Amino acid sequence: MNSANVIEIEEPEMSEAAACCEVRMPAGLLGFEHIKNFLLIAKPAEAPFRWLQVKNNPSLAFVVIEPLYFAPDYRPDIPQADVDFLGLSSPDDVAVYNIVTVHGPRRATVNLKGPVIINRNTGVAKQVVIANAVEYSVEHPLPVNGAA
Amino acid sequence: MLILSRKSGESIVIDGRIHVKIVRVEGDVVKIGIEAPSEVPVHRREVYEEIQCSNEQALTRQNVALPKLPLSGSPKQGNEISKAL
Repeated sequence: MNSANVIEIEEPEMSEAAACCEVRMPAGLLGFEHIKNFLLIAKPAEAPFRWLQVKNNPSLAFVVIEPLYFAPDYRPDIPQADVDFLGLSSPDDVAVYNIVTVHGPRRATVNLKGPVIINRNTGVAKQVVIANAVEYSVEHPLPVNGAA
Repeated sequence: MLILSRKSGESIVIDGRIHVKIVRVEGDVVKIGIEAPSEVPVHRREVYEEIQCSNEQALTRQNVALPKLPLSGSPKQGNEISKAL
């Protein structure tokens, strides 16, 4: 992303600013196809979680996380049609995020079947149904502190 | 719903650009070949619905309290967003 797309947001209740960049999803998320524009927001106090927030509706957001934090062996097989759609030409172009469902303070699961794949250079993203979806769960449990 | 009878090896065409071919019938399993333009997503319905349902459950309000992960991740990583996206 070039620096023009980076916005600093001041959080009144936090001393550290959140970092943010725009993500465009021409196909939306499955079930939310009409929502195309998002902000990817990182608040230092909430790392490694980030927010994929609907750009024109800050009250709607998804919690996301990079798989390297909890599933370093995760190998999503991105179909060629999606590689073409996103204009990916090298693995360095790719940022992978998985959508988190927060069930409560001690339980959270991650969708590994449908990661959000972002082209770092263009900010264009897509929720991809990976070709090896059968190997993964939509409710992969996150190792949460205090979980039973 | 339009219902058509097809034999193994026969096809249907949708919108002049999507070809659906019955490749093989084995007992109660039908193997289907689909040729569609790359911008037309094709999914097994149950996988699509599973992800759709998961997205609906995941949609949240920004004031939700996030759980703590037992991770060694540096809290500085949040500031690396412009580099790491």
